[in-house]
Amino acid sequence: MKIMTKMSLLCSIAGLAALYVGAVQVRPSVTAISKLDNDFLGLKVIVSGQVVDLRESNGHMFLKLKDDSGGLISVPIFSSIRSQLSGSIELLDVVQATGVVKEYNGELEVLPEKASDIVVVHSPCVAISALSEDDLGELVKVRGVIVEREIVGKGNLILTLREDGDWLPVFVSASMARNSNFPEVHVGYTVQITGWLQLYDNELELRLKDASSIKVVEAA
Amino acid sequence: MLDTLAFVALGIALGILTGLIPGVHVNNLTPMLLALAAGSAFCSLPLAAAIVAMTITNTFISYIPSTFLGAPEPGTELSILPAHRLLLEGEGYEAIRLTALGCLGGLLLSAALIWPMLAFVGPTYDLIKPQMHWLLLAVVVVMIALERSKAGIAWGAVIFLLSGLLGLLTLDTNLCNGDAALMPLLSGLFGASVLLPSLTSKSSLPEQRVDDEPIEVRPHLRPLCAGTAAGALTGVIPGIGPSQGTVLAQLVVRSKGSNNFLVAVSGVNTAKALFSFVALYAIGRGRSGAAVAVGQLVDIGLGELVFLVGVALFVGGIAAFLHLRLGRLAAKHIWRLPYRAICLVVFITIVCMSVYYSGLIGLPILVAATAIGMLPAVARVKRTHAMGVIMLPCILYFAGLKGPVLSAIGL
Repeated sequence: MKIMTKMSLLCSIAGLAALYVGAVQVRPSVTAISKLDNDFLGLKVIVSGQVVDLRESNGHMFLKLKDDSGGLISVPIFSSIRSQLSGSIELLDVVQATGVVKEYNGELEVLPEKASDIVVVHSPCVAISALSEDDLGELVKVRGVIVEREIVGKGNLILTLREDGDWLPVFVSASMARNSNFPEVHVGYTVQITGWLQLYDNELELRLKDASSIKVVEAA
Repeated sequence: MLDTLAFVALGIALGILTGLIPGVHVNNLTPMLLALAAGSAFCSLPLAAAIVAMTITNTFISYIPSTFLGAPEPGTELSILPAHRLLLEGEGYEAIRLTALGCLGGLLLSAALIWPMLAFVGPTYDLIKPQMHWLLLAVVVVMIALERSKAGIAWGAVIFLLSGLLGLLTLDTNLCNGDAALMPLLSGLFGASVLLPSLTSKSSLPEQRVDDEPIEVRPHLRPLCAGTAAGALTGVIPGIGPSQGTVLAQLVVRSKGSNNFLVAVSGVNTAKALFSFVALYAIGRGRSGAAVAVGQLVDIGLGELVFLVGVALFVGGIAAFLHLRLGRLAAKHIWRLPYRAICLVVFITIVCMSVYYSGLIGLPILVAATAIGMLPAVARVKRTHAMGVIMLPCILYFAGLKGPVLSAIGL
């Protein structure tokens, strides 16, 4: 019986050691988002990409990350984790998320388990002077002082931003302007705005992405 | 109405199938049923009834292989040892009758408990959840302390820690996808390690007594109630499986006999099965694969809940009858079969299933789990300590320590 005990114990420890070595070999590594498929379900991966979509509801935050591979992945951050995040997460920030690949409503997502699974690198604003027609259709983040606030059509809003002598009109649809997430903005306020760059009457114009993509940096 | 009955019959048939074949679980078949629903004009409610029927029937029938073959399914792992002991004493059918009593009693009691639980569970859960790790830790400490002798306590702690480490290494790393490691883990800890000694010894099964004397319910009432209450809790609270539920129930009852244990563990299982559906209504979340599938099929309102509980009770009666019949059949014939050959076949099945579910990595997991699973027998302590495989990761998770511990050991 003594021999059996020793053998079982030895076998257990040897087995655990082998599994440990195996587990160290397959630690999660940074994975290109476009490579993620159903084979990854249940595995822990690290993805890194730019936040191209951001929704908030009931204290939860739902990100969509896009990386150089062209892939797009959802990263839900539930309120319990979000409340522990030290900084904010904004559109166009680069986020590295560690989490288990899960399927939700037929789509893959990477589910972080704790606040330290999320690392945020804030992306700087683009200077208005640097914007050109090459950027058309891109999501861009700018900052400036509102020098004009005009209501056109059925409640649409045109804000004109000025930064170091350059101007950029920002189009806010009536529905966004009425949205409760849309902050009160007046002439003289410094704001940070994320939106799609488009052409209107052959002029560059920013179309606000959604009601929460405008942030008042400094009220006059 | 007729189509509902047809679907319930289908569910019962599938429940028997999944119950009898070790390693095939209800969760393997629900995606098929869901695909059927997606691609057809069938109403979803009868299909949901089929899934409930399958789950309930499976709960009963899965005790037949775990009694006669020593092959566990998730949830029945703790019942193997006492049931196997009864089998070796020629009382295999008694084990079947006790699990039938436990399952059916658990089902009836938990159906009666639904209303009080609905009022009680939500608020209590919020209260308990932040303290969950302390609660689980207390369960573990008491469980180990009950060994009484110093050597027993030391061995209990060692087995708990070894199996817990095994759980951490396999369930929370990239060795296996998600819960795929559960099959080799539980089969190794609670199945293969029981079968191996039978393989090496020349034992054969004694003739099984088939006794139809009515079972006295009264002495089993306490384990039944405790099992049902524990099962109801595990059906609603995440992270506590039927095995932890059984440990809880056992602590409440403090029963020593394998008979009471079997009643309690089977009560836990049916109560858990039923309450995983109730949780759909109470907290809007399914707590089992089958319940999640039902949640995808129908929006559970009060009407649907009553309907599905009705189906479960209806099926429970039929399943208990089938369970007794099939168990009796097995008891009459099993001893005639070459026992070692059966054990070998089951052992090979376990190995194949482990590889099928977890890939080749399933083999080393199975070996390590079997080695740890041998320890309780050779050290003469209770096999429950090996539940550390799930409890230790759970405790760390609720304490918020899982990440730090994993990174501390370099994972």
